[in-house]
Amino acid sequence: MNRKTRYYLVAGLALAALAFIATACGGDDDNGGGGAGGGNNDKPLVIARDMDINSMDPSRAYCDTCQIYLTATYDTLIGLDPKDNKTFIPRVAEKWEGNADRTQYTFTLNKKANFADGTPLTSADVKWTFERLANVKGSAAYFMDGITAIETPDPQTVIVKLAASDSSFLAKVNASYAGIINSKLASANGATAAKDADTTDKAEAWFLKNSAGGGPYTLANYTEGAEIRLARNDKYWGDKPALKEVIIKQVKDAVTQRQQLETGDADIAMQIDPDTAKKISNKSVTIKEVPSFNFVYIALSPGAKDNKIDLNPKIREAVRSALDYDGIIQVTLGGGGKKQAAPIPNGFLGTKNLQLPSRDVAKAKQLLKDGGQPNGFTIDAMYPNVNVYGVDFNTMMQKIQSDLSEIGIKLNLQPVEFTVWVAKIRGDGIPLTAVYFAPDHTDPIQYVQYFGMVPGAPWAGRAGGANTPLLNQAEVDLSAKALASSSDAEREKLYESIGNEMIKDAIILPIVNPNLVLAYRSELEGMHYSACCNLEVARLKRK
Amino acid sequence: MARYVVVRVLMMPILLLGLVTVAFVVSRTVPADPLSTVVSERQLGNPVVVQAAEKRWGLDKPLPAQYVIYVRNLLRGDMGTSFRTKQNVRQDLEDRLPVTIELTLAAMAIAVTVGLLLGILAAVRRNSWVDHLARLFALLGSSLPVFWTGLFLLYIFYARLGWFPGPGRLDPRAVAPDKVTGLYTVDALLAGDLGTFWDALQHLALPSFVLGWAVMGIISRLVRASLLEVLNQDYVRTARAKGLTERSVILTHALRNALIPTLTIIGISFAILITGAVLTESIFAWPGIGSYAVDSSRALDFPAIMGVSILGGVIFLVTNLITDMTYVLVDPRIRLS
Repeated sequence: MNRKTRYYLVAGLALAALAFIATACGGDDDNGGGGAGGGNNDKPLVIARDMDINSMDPSRAYCDTCQIYLTATYDTLIGLDPKDNKTFIPRVAEKWEGNADRTQYTFTLNKKANFADGTPLTSADVKWTFERLANVKGSAAYFMDGITAIETPDPQTVIVKLAASDSSFLAKVNASYAGIINSKLASANGATAAKDADTTDKAEAWFLKNSAGGGPYTLANYTEGAEIRLARNDKYWGDKPALKEVIIKQVKDAVTQRQQLETGDADIAMQIDPDTAKKISNKSVTIKEVPSFNFVYIALSPGAKDNKIDLNPKIREAVRSALDYDGIIQVTLGGGGKKQAAPIPNGFLGTKNLQLPSRDVAKAKQLLKDGGQPNGFTIDAMYPNVNVYGVDFNTMMQKIQSDLSEIGIKLNLQPVEFTVWVAKIRGDGIPLTAVYFAPDHTDPIQYVQYFGMVPGAPWAGRAGGANTPLLNQAEVDLSAKALASSSDAEREKLYESIGNEMIKDAIILPIVNPNLVLAYRSELEGMHYSACCNLEVARLKRK
Repeated sequence: MARYVVVRVLMMPILLLGLVTVAFVVSRTVPADPLSTVVSERQLGNPVVVQAAEKRWGLDKPLPAQYVIYVRNLLRGDMGTSFRTKQNVRQDLEDRLPVTIELTLAAMAIAVTVGLLLGILAAVRRNSWVDHLARLFALLGSSLPVFWTGLFLLYIFYARLGWFPGPGRLDPRAVAPDKVTGLYTVDALLAGDLGTFWDALQHLALPSFVLGWAVMGIISRLVRASLLEVLNQDYVRTARAKGLTERSVILTHALRNALIPTLTIIGISFAILITGAVLTESIFAWPGIGSYAVDSSRALDFPAIMGVSILGGVIFLVTNLITDMTYVLVDPRIRLS
């Protein structure tokens, strides 16, 4: 290579490098600006979210992101009014009714309802969907527990018969996991609703690339760990969605979500915690804190194998009284949360008049004395090392450790991976732990069936020990009445009584009901938090 | 050398079987419950759901039976279905590996180019400000945690200055090019889509620099040390005495010998970068093997953990072999046997 050639080569490389830097430095048109296309619903909507997808198959899916995806792509029989998050509204079913004792429900389907491929949505699809949901035995299969028969006298009528009263059934069919599947399309791709579907159904892989619903959007692409891309269903039979394309992007942490939101790379950031939200001053971004139905709690298990302490009701009440709830909410969420009385979140039926917990150290010390532990004790506290709803569990548990040390209770903190925690809680149990909960549907019975001291409830078993669940007969009787009641007023009173019984149990001690931060570009309209579905993207549009 | 290579290649399946056995035993004996990945926590008390899940994922069989089934399926090319992604693990790896390869190749290109240049400059200008600056740069690259560097550079160059794009492989609203190699830069060029090529290249800049910086520091220090050692040897003095230019002495005579230890580091670094790009991938939202490995481990996703272990093993074995072969090319005195 002679000197002249070398000069040309060096000059060429330098120009290429400059061109690269210039291009890179050019950045996006949206960077730092307000984002292009106000009023342009053709511009794809980007949602930044740390996704927790466990399946794209409606009968097997069970996660927060799944709720958003399924709501967009599968229509449910009934919807939820976003104005109050309580009232059911028509969707595929234009009307419905339950019998007096809530053992039978009849749904009349809208004749216009169809799937994205144009196939009419009929009662046969509803029956097939519900049977598949039950028979694949996924995490949401329990929604269909107690169904004895599903009758389809004509294409527009579905009659569901139950073995026992279940006033929560409407809430269950409103949940996104009960979205109606195009049975012909899914069957042609390996799905089955037969009794042995748990072993014979082969459609889960197909659902990773395809949706088979009649919702306002269809699945355009799913790249695991990267994005879910939804395309508007232009054949949608109901109110047409405004946005042409919606992309849910995998973005792990709140800081990056915030940056993407502020630069306009994202239109919605879904996991901004209240602390991060306070640092956003960009006028193109709207921040709203709304109450959520999620909560974080600590739980006591007197029957845990490793427990050496007599965790009697007085000791449990002492723990409740020793906690500085306001301080914990301040430390973990910068004040962005609320106290919660019982393991039924604020806003659910029956929670309005429940008494919120408060700190009383003197009372706690007296209760310890009355409970036979005047000098306090040391107890193991294993918990999952997670950060959920903006609550860092390590920070929270350190504050709880500090609070309890004031009355002589020493916590031996053991943060572990979630899988390790699950192995322990399913095995020997954990004397004191911390966990979190988000609702599956809008009926409070789910909390009784999970946290109540009633037969079959996981925490009744954990509290009492594997073979001797701790039971509260009052909760058993009250929940049976609530399930059989068709009156909301009566159910309100019954759930209030159940809430008070759960407070008396003092097994589950709710710590905080965190606020949800809605962080989005100001040009968006229709942003809301849905109790059933997390976020209904079909209600969004650009100004 | 051909015989040596054949023996090494023939040894690979035996070494991999050993790796599979160790990974299987270790992953199955940790005190954790993989069911929490396939069944929600609140349904783990439901015997019907738990039984169905155990049967479906083969967890109802004793461990030796699970091992035999796994190895038998593996020999047929079936790596199983991931508990977490619900895809065949082989498919997962095929999707994820090109992402990490693209990132790692770019990181390695930056690390080698800048590292060599800095190393040579530091050796030639020993104890000058150039040498001190190169040392500081190397020190920062080796000592700053990747997560800090990544977040800091994103904050400065993306969020504040807007000079570089944010996380992801393309603009969030852009559509990926049709898959040929899985490397977006290459696939975009193959499709003749220069816009997407530039987009992909821009998104590659920050993460590849962050990932490559640590290796860059190691390479530059190693090149400097080796070069200084070689420059003191007799044959270099002879070359100078013969009247060769300093550039010719350094680049033609000294550097070639000084590169041998550097090649070892480059070979090992490549494997380390591929399997260790976890934090960079996580911070820059690159769905590669690193983040796949971490997510799978946290979820105790047995088939995925096994798949990543096998892939990591293959990468290490192959890069070691290539490194050994490269010695021969660089130094004809070395014979492999």
